[in-house]
Amino acid sequence: MFNKKKKNNKEQITNEQTEMQEPTKHYSKNELKQTLEILSKEEFINLIKEKINSPSDFIIKNVTDEITIVYIDNLIEVKSLTDLTIPTLQNISDPTPQTIKEKLPLAQIDISNKLDILIYELLEGAALIHTKENAEIIIAKISSYQSRGLSAPENESQVIGSQVGFNESLATNISLIRRFVTSPNLCNEKFEVGEDTITSISLIYIKGVASEEQVNTIRQRIESLDVSGLIDSAILAELIDDSSKTVFPQMLLTERPDRFCDGLLSGKIGIMMNGSSMGIVTPVAFIEFFHSKEDQNLRWQIGTMLRLLRLFAMIFSIFLTPIYVAALTYHYEIISQTLIVPLSESRAIVPFPPILEALLLELIIELLREAGSRLPTKVGQTVGIVGGIVIGTAAVEAGITSNILIIFVALSALASFTTPNYVMANIIRFLRFPIIILAGIWGFLGIMLAVCFLLIHLLRLTSLGAPYLAPLYPTRLKDLPNSLIRLPLSIISRQAVNTRKGDEESTKQKDSKKVSE
Amino acid sequence: MKQATQSKQYEKINAFLIFFVIVSCQIGVGIHGFQRVIYEEAKQDAWISVVLSFILAHIVVFIMFKTLEKFDGLDIYGIQKEVFGKILGKFLNLLYVIYCTFAFFAVLKNYIEVVNTWVFPYVNARFIAIAILLIVIYAVTGGLRVIVGISFFSFFFLLWIPPVLIFPLYYSNPNFLLPIMEDWAGILRGVYLMSFTIVGFEILNIIYPYIKEKERKNANKYAQIGLLATFFLYITIMLITIMYFSGPQLERVIWATLTIFNIIEFPFVERIEIITICLWLLIVLPNLCLYLWAAYRGVSSIFKIELKKFIWIFASIIFIFTFIIRSRTEINTMNNYFGQISFYVVFVYPFLLYLFASIKKRRRKGTGDSS
Amino acid sequence: MIKRQVLLYYLCISLLLFGCADPKILERVSLAILVGYDVEEEDKVTATVALRTVNQELQSVVSIASQTEKTSKGTRIKASLDSTKQIVAGQLRVILLGKKLAESGINEALHTTKMNSEMSSGLYFAIVDGETKPLIEKKYENISDIGQHIFYLLDHNIEEQTILSSTLHETVRDSYSPYIDMALPLLVQDEDDVHISGLAIFNGDKMVGKLVGSDPFYVVLVREKYNAGSIQLSIPGEPFKNLSDEIPDEIAMAIDSIFSKRKIELLNKDTPEFEIDVKVEGRILEIPPSITTEDPEVIKKLETEVEKKFEREISRIIKKTQELNSDVFGFGEVYKAHVGTKNVDKKKWKELYPTIKVNANVTVKLLRNGVFD
Repeated sequence: MFNKKKKNNKEQITNEQTEMQEPTKHYSKNELKQTLEILSKEEFINLIKEKINSPSDFIIKNVTDEITIVYIDNLIEVKSLTDLTIPTLQNISDPTPQTIKEKLPLAQIDISNKLDILIYELLEGAALIHTKENAEIIIAKISSYQSRGLSAPENESQVIGSQVGFNESLATNISLIRRFVTSPNLCNEKFEVGEDTITSISLIYIKGVASEEQVNTIRQRIESLDVSGLIDSAILAELIDDSSKTVFPQMLLTERPDRFCDGLLSGKIGIMMNGSSMGIVTPVAFIEFFHSKEDQNLRWQIGTMLRLLRLFAMIFSIFLTPIYVAALTYHYEIISQTLIVPLSESRAIVPFPPILEALLLELIIELLREAGSRLPTKVGQTVGIVGGIVIGTAAVEAGITSNILIIFVALSALASFTTPNYVMANIIRFLRFPIIILAGIWGFLGIMLAVCFLLIHLLRLTSLGAPYLAPLYPTRLKDLPNSLIRLPLSIISRQAVNTRKGDEESTKQKDSKKVSE
Repeated sequence: MKQATQSKQYEKINAFLIFFVIVSCQIGVGIHGFQRVIYEEAKQDAWISVVLSFILAHIVVFIMFKTLEKFDGLDIYGIQKEVFGKILGKFLNLLYVIYCTFAFFAVLKNYIEVVNTWVFPYVNARFIAIAILLIVIYAVTGGLRVIVGISFFSFFFLLWIPPVLIFPLYYSNPNFLLPIMEDWAGILRGVYLMSFTIVGFEILNIIYPYIKEKERKNANKYAQIGLLATFFLYITIMLITIMYFSGPQLERVIWATLTIFNIIEFPFVERIEIITICLWLLIVLPNLCLYLWAAYRGVSSIFKIELKKFIWIFASIIFIFTFIIRSRTEINTMNNYFGQISFYVVFVYPFLLYLFASIKKRRRKGTGDSS
Repeated sequence: MIKRQVLLYYLCISLLLFGCADPKILERVSLAILVGYDVEEEDKVTATVALRTVNQELQSVVSIASQTEKTSKGTRIKASLDSTKQIVAGQLRVILLGKKLAESGINEALHTTKMNSEMSSGLYFAIVDGETKPLIEKKYENISDIGQHIFYLLDHNIEEQTILSSTLHETVRDSYSPYIDMALPLLVQDEDDVHISGLAIFNGDKMVGKLVGSDPFYVVLVREKYNAGSIQLSIPGEPFKNLSDEIPDEIAMAIDSIFSKRKIELLNKDTPEFEIDVKVEGRILEIPPSITTEDPEVIKKLETEVEKKFEREISRIIKKTQELNSDVFGFGEVYKAHVGTKNVDKKKWKELYPTIKVNANVTVKLLRNGVFD
């Protein structure tokens, strides 16, 4: 009931993905599964045209009388077609597929007479070479893929550490990863998902370090995906999560190859997807969303301080406004003598009860943030200034809010931005709203109810079957030095949280998953 | 044996978690106001009653483990069936379930009473009850792993108490502790009355089969350490209470611990008892969850019932009870009854069970029919 | 399944809607800061409340409300009828009791205060030498907020240990204990000021007398440890006459930074006899210039004289309290600690107290003087 994608996971896993040149059958529609017979030039062109719905960018080139090339414009590299392929083909006296394959100075050439493969390769960016009197067609893979160059990771920037981020090309990303981890044990399994998009997905892990159980689980979940299209790895992560009902992500999205590889080295499993500049790292624990790669690049004392600071900022950010609401609405007794005069004076002409005031201000802050992030950078800054200063000052002067609450709301917004993970930072801001409402209804008791609910919720969550709150609970003493704090590298164990390979624990957790379904 | 297979592999917990279970079970609503009841009997020697009652608790836990180890892998429900036969065993299981239900209700009602008195005098107790019950239901449906997790985290929410207790020392007068050991009879009556406060460790009887087999022999050690930890908290609070209040004053203070917290002031925050009471929800939660879970284990040993179904039935029953018992005097009467019952269930019955269990075992060995 | 979930959400929402607590929004209530109780005829009590509210000009203003009623809680409810905002007592800092009320017994006032969970145990009690109503209602030139003023007045004096601490908790503790009597700060209204004149001492719950001047210092010296006390005193000039001709008959001196330890021991159980051992360390703050403090002999002499003075004063005050039968020092606690609760009760101790013998034994050490000999 929790996991729709695991419904047909009885399917056996085969090794074919690893050698992977031929695309496997089940991605193509049945009607395409036919073997070509010997066709004339016209027949061949018409067949292909019909199958791909005669697009306008379909180009036919007659090289000689016997040889015809078809391809889709812009998908192939024109230079290798005009400079290498066509001259060579013109000089071939005996054009059989075998000789052409031998003679063509290209890296990847295939021969096939399967229609589905031909269509697939054509759409991927290959030139199909038809020769007279031959059923088999030559596939010259000269695809050109437009991708942007490598650039610094923008969302996870850091001062110390590598300044390279993933881009949208799977091939580039895998080469990046291979440059970080050169081990022959680095496994790269390829999947193709999506009926329409046929997106390539790479499952990357280090054999012997990652847990076999977890690799199998992931493999099954990816294989049993039944979607028409996949555009981004964030969607993939949601689809293969343990529980999609919760707001908390159970897989980490990162655009930093160093973080990705760090995960691999500590036994996690990575997933890269073509067309997405975010890699998925799993399993992860709750704590790891508050880690930054930079903590490890700094000395341990500083790293520890930064981590504690972030945790404090998270708690601060979630609870500051609710505490304000609760204290001013119900618990005026707890406010100390020195604080009560400025507090009540600042609230004197505010027409709303604290709960509405707080919700209003939080909403304004969210509006500013959203507007700032949707607009181009330069305009975004202006919005921030206009919003922050003008609206804030005006609101206080107009008597809609108290200036103390403005400080609180701004502080908690600021604190929420310290969370290194964008997804988690959003969750922290989102969590405030229900807690403010509860605080406005039942004061501190409402806040405590929310805390209890959150705690239970986090305890119930799992990431790839491993507990989400590890290593705090269940306590893993080995992992504690690298959780809330960061101790010297000599103490930190290489194996990361939740990835006990070959350990009975992970088996048990897997069992638990199965049973709970 | 059946029980052992029922307690699924994945739900097994590490032995050291027993420490947290014990601490969170023993610290509940009782700690808010146990001093007065005991002081009324034992006067300034009330702290001796605390010491004695904990010594008794240590012995009881020891006996419990001895009994449980005899039937490896069975909880008390299994043992009762084994020792007393199917029918009588099931009847005793039912009684134990009723005890757990009673305990659950007593904890819930007392907590709500505190909230109603100190924080929200105008909120209807039933709404608080529903809210807490919903949270408990959500926790218990997560399974034992989640319940023990709450105990684990609630322990860390207790850690701020000992440092805060330094503040009332400023107002304390060591002379109030003297003379020592005046009235032994009073002290012993105090021990008896202490039982309501420190029960909770009987949950060991049910949780035992869920400890990882390899680590079970350590469980006794961790349980004893857990008792020791709660002992230190209780004895500190008791000593500070006696030194803080004058005798006749203490006899009139209903929630002495909260009254002590009342005077503590920080630069930004005063009246921390209000915060404490709300925070106590998390301390009370493991109590409620474990009792509910224990009741479920008992009921499922009598007849088959789905966890979810049982929890909803259980919650409805508890909710109906909140309509019946409402006023302070009714709650006090209930507490008195519960105190007496819990004394017999927790402090006396384990000895009897151990006796019967060893007789049964010996007889079996005699007939050569060992399990 | 869906039906059940809908039901659950419904339950949650109804919980939120109907279970909403009764709000006391900070700026919409009047905070009582100071309450004064006076006794009227026919058992009626007048309560005078100093309230702090916030007005539209963002200033907090203090208003005074007064009402006569039978119980204090009733007074509060009645008073709220006159105020535009609900009156709450959670921020109450000081309770003042009129002298007349104190003399007729304060148990009822204490009990009703203690029963109300809204009030803090840390609020201060004080007795007014006279009536509280005029004291609170008067418009002082230099005092804008009478509640806060009296609170800070008591707070800083208690901090500096010039008087005994009189928090609600301690007051109730002493009033319920059979072996000690209360001593509460005594306030006096001046022309245009309010100040502390000393301690009001009680026998049971009735005020029987007062200790003024420097007397409270000695009460604190016997009852508590000093962490930073100070005292002005005069000692006879006779023993120092040989130093110089300018020595007056009475040497006025001041000692501060006083650290003290005290120990009360029961010497004899049958005819109670106590010994008080007080060790005082301090710094000379003020002394006539003719006394040369660099001479160790002089210091020694000074110490002896101060000791004698302390002992005399302590004995005198104890005598006085014995006459009034008010055991503000808590000798009863020591006695009880030795003979057990069964052998002494309130009545017996009240009979015993005037007869007890106390030997005061003070050791003074003057550690240093200022920067100029």
